[in-house]
Amino acid sequence: MLGGVFHAAVLFLVAAGLQLVFGVQKILNLACGSFYALGAYAGVSAVSWALAAGAPPPIFPLVLVGAGLGLALVGPVIERLLRTIYDRDESFQLLLTFALVLMFEDVIRFVWGTAPHQLSSAYLVYGQLRVGGLVIPVYNLVVIAAGGAIAALMGFLLARTRFGRIVRATAENRGMAEAMGVDVSRVYVRVFTLGVALGTVGGALVIPATAAVNEMGIDLIVEAFAVVVIGGLGSMRGAVAGALIVGIMRAVAVATYPEVEMLAIYVVVIAVLVLRPAGLFAKAAA
Amino acid sequence: MITNRRTFIKVLAGAAAATGARLDVAPALAQAAPVRIGVLAAKAGVTAPVGESGLRGTQFAVDRINAAGGIAGRKVELAVEEESNPKDTVERFRKLALQTKAEVITGGISTAVGLAVGPVSEELKALWLAWDATTQKGVEETIPKPRYAFRSVDNEAEAVMASILTARQLKGKVKTVAGINNDYSYGRDNWAAFLAIMKKFGMNVTPVVELWPKLGETNFTSHVAALQQAKPDLVFSSFWSGDAPILMKQAHAAGLTQGTKFVLTTAGGVHESMKKAFTPEGAIMGYNSLYFEAPNASPLLREFSKWHQERFKEWPNYESDHAYFTIVAYKAAVEKASKAAGGKWPTTEQTVEALEGIEVESLSGRRGYRSDHIMEASYYQGVTTHKNRHDFVTIDPVEVMSTKQIQKPSGTGLYDWINSWSV
Repeated sequence: MLGGVFHAAVLFLVAAGLQLVFGVQKILNLACGSFYALGAYAGVSAVSWALAAGAPPPIFPLVLVGAGLGLALVGPVIERLLRTIYDRDESFQLLLTFALVLMFEDVIRFVWGTAPHQLSSAYLVYGQLRVGGLVIPVYNLVVIAAGGAIAALMGFLLARTRFGRIVRATAENRGMAEAMGVDVSRVYVRVFTLGVALGTVGGALVIPATAAVNEMGIDLIVEAFAVVVIGGLGSMRGAVAGALIVGIMRAVAVATYPEVEMLAIYVVVIAVLVLRPAGLFAKAAA
Repeated sequence: MITNRRTFIKVLAGAAAATGARLDVAPALAQAAPVRIGVLAAKAGVTAPVGESGLRGTQFAVDRINAAGGIAGRKVELAVEEESNPKDTVERFRKLALQTKAEVITGGISTAVGLAVGPVSEELKALWLAWDATTQKGVEETIPKPRYAFRSVDNEAEAVMASILTARQLKGKVKTVAGINNDYSYGRDNWAAFLAIMKKFGMNVTPVVELWPKLGETNFTSHVAALQQAKPDLVFSSFWSGDAPILMKQAHAAGLTQGTKFVLTTAGGVHESMKKAFTPEGAIMGYNSLYFEAPNASPLLREFSKWHQERFKEWPNYESDHAYFTIVAYKAAVEKASKAAGGKWPTTEQTVEALEGIEVESLSGRRGYRSDHIMEASYYQGVTTHKNRHDFVTIDPVEVMSTKQIQKPSGTGLYDWINSWSV
């Protein structure tokens, strides 16, 4: 079960990026998985560099978050590119953002090569916890806590701050927001960069527990879409619920009947599409 | 400047003679024109590192061949195309055969691609020497008696060898086993072969859990939890890509590497990622056909390992060997057939005949093609150790088995063959 929540925490970060960007900019950003992969590779490089420079190992999660946030600087550049398709058909969005996925794959191959990249010993820096007969790496709990904290922070940011009110207003009615004096292009840049940061920080945070491989983003895009369908497109609460459902469903399937691991998720997706086509939290738009 | 009629005629005659002479030497020049070798190499996705490794072995082979004067006097030129999905790869294979006019095409890793390329190679009568990509089940149906396609070693050879080593070393020491293998033919074939061989050796093991994550999965926390729950004495995995180190890292973090034995048939494919920090000593680990620190390493392997380390800052793995082998086998076959044809460049049919039963020195030692177009090689597996100069595990002792021992003979079913063993 905890394995499922760990997976859900990572999935939430990527799906939240997807949700935020869709909710505000109405862009279906397939490249959210690429930001996750980029974050993972940058995380490996940043921590390796920091440790080689003599940084104490326990601070590595801060280095990872720093690397993820630093990498989010690609956000404004990509957003500039996306401006050309804001008012065009969704198929253009999918084509352009899928092109970005392929380009980022090549960028990763060019910079980091094709072999898996990893941090070999960071995972156990915080030790293990024994609960009953199970051994749980404490770092898994750190990632879960970070996912929860980021979800809470996003909730606070969107619901309680001036920036959040502007973002919600823009998402609700772009024209009206613009008429009220909101600089929509600036909001778009910030929202997209925030969406990128969610992905890159997610990728960076997960890396001590896994290895960075080029295709890691592609798989997550598919799962992130399942999360979005279950939770409801554009809803942040939906992203949390969807990620938890997908993560836990997978863990339960693996523990009980491993053959249906992937099937289980898509049965839920189909059930939601049939019974509640707009998703579980469709009304609570970002 | 031509000053008079006589001089003009002389010049004209000279030019005609030169042209004539040039026409005379044309066939010889054509003979010395470079020989084009087409290569299909994966460059994206899970198979990208394997494709890269194959390209390195190919380049090393071609550099050596060209430095030594080429193939039957013709220098080698490579035409590399990407292996991606079956449909596109078939188109690139056609392009290499028909447009680039490659004399031979090597490469191919994915079985799905192999199943599509095989029949096209037969249809076009284009010589194809696969690196991998040709698992036994599907291939037996799509290209039952290949003429122009030459296949790789059977899927299960690694599982067969690892299972024999398991039986030798752990008989009576394991009662329950668990499998975690990718959910496609390679993973399923290997697990089935392992269980069959356990039965043959009278190991009396009970499978307690079978896990089938998809290829490319990067999070095994739920799978590791399922393994913890099932408490097997031994975990068998045929993971060969980035998933192998991820599984071991997460298994180690969950305390699963203490007390549980691991059999990792193909993790040697990503051996540098199998760090000591999380890969235990005492696991059975396979390197397919190339072990970079083989105790009996030939001068050729030593030279290649050095070249590979200097150029890529990595130690080589098996796909370099398969790729190197296909090129040197082709060279040897052409030269053999050419000699038989009185020095002429051989036809594809003559080369095919020369390839059947050929044996050459490759990076992993001497290896060849059987008359049924299936590769032979030596496989390297052993018990993992931390006693080395690297930050990743190596094996000691190193066991070497020929595919003559671990691959079913021509015309026999895998399980009939296993059942026929006297153990």
